[in-house]
Amino acid sequence: MMGFTIQRWAAWAPGLVEPAAWEAWLTKPHALPAEGTPALTEMPAMMRRRVDRLGRIALQASYQAHVAAPDAPVLFASRYGDLGRSVELLTQLARSEPLSPTSFSLSVHNAIGALYSIARGDASSYSAIAAGEETVEAAFTEACGLLADGVPRVMVVLYDEPVPAPWQHFSESLEFPRAWACLLAASTGADAIHLGCHAGARAVAAPEAPETPEPGGLPADLRALRFLVTGAARASRWEHPVGARHWRWERHG
Amino acid sequence: MLELEHEIKRLVIETLNLEDLTPNDIDPAAPLFVEGLGLDSIDALELGLALQKSYGVVLASDSKENRRHFASVRALADFVSTHRTKS
Repeated sequence: MMGFTIQRWAAWAPGLVEPAAWEAWLTKPHALPAEGTPALTEMPAMMRRRVDRLGRIALQASYQAHVAAPDAPVLFASRYGDLGRSVELLTQLARSEPLSPTSFSLSVHNAIGALYSIARGDASSYSAIAAGEETVEAAFTEACGLLADGVPRVMVVLYDEPVPAPWQHFSESLEFPRAWACLLAASTGADAIHLGCHAGARAVAAPEAPETPEPGGLPADLRALRFLVTGAARASRWEHPVGARHWRWERHG
Repeated sequence: MLELEHEIKRLVIETLNLEDLTPNDIDPAAPLFVEGLGLDSIDALELGLALQKSYGVVLASDSKENRRHFASVRALADFVSTHRTKS
């Protein structure tokens, strides 16, 4: 598959804003506050009023990674998306209460990306992706496809927040709201990162044990970010087995 | 009537998350939509629902009438004061 490099990245979580702080945290994660919302001053107030916490976090990372960049396709990826809004709407329906038209109009998976595109007046191609435990791989597979098609750059944005009651038991990992975004360019150089997928829970060409799973540890999107951006401890490989598939992220540099 | 206008301004600000505004920033005679406050069609639906919940007013589907009622905070206050079924 097409190799890529990261031209710029940004991330946001309560208490973690600067890239250096993120790198240190990804190397040695500790508990983060569960509450916090970025100011998102980049977005005009009349648009921002429609964006709730998860959207503000996702778009704060997007604006920071996207700054001064020319138009590029944008892939918004989130495993659970704005589930809190759906729970609220479904609860109101169950009680035969009228639904908020604003909330209803924003209850689709692509709403956060759509607000971003409208606010920036950006008519580039936008996608909204959700693919369970493989959400980050689905987003990067799509990005590599676009790069292989000749698009010079692609923005990828990953975002999620704790799963709301009554569904929180579906979520396995350490949870706090967060988002990260990176601007990717195609690369065939020695520093290129490659993403591959193999059948089987264990990769045939990887005799050494795959990374031990982290029960209660970092969710997959943050393990991917750790592989992509942590400087000094640059691992050459991150293995991510999911069901019958085995994803392998590799760097040869 | 002034009190009702103030109440409706607060309703508009809270319902539509106009976080940077206070009731004093809203001119009761200024247009609510497009010009003036710059609200859009989703705001009109949201506001209609809030007025229904707070005052029991039912909006007809006649868009010409609604346009008149939603012209400004003052027009809304007139409409609410004559049609309200909740106090």
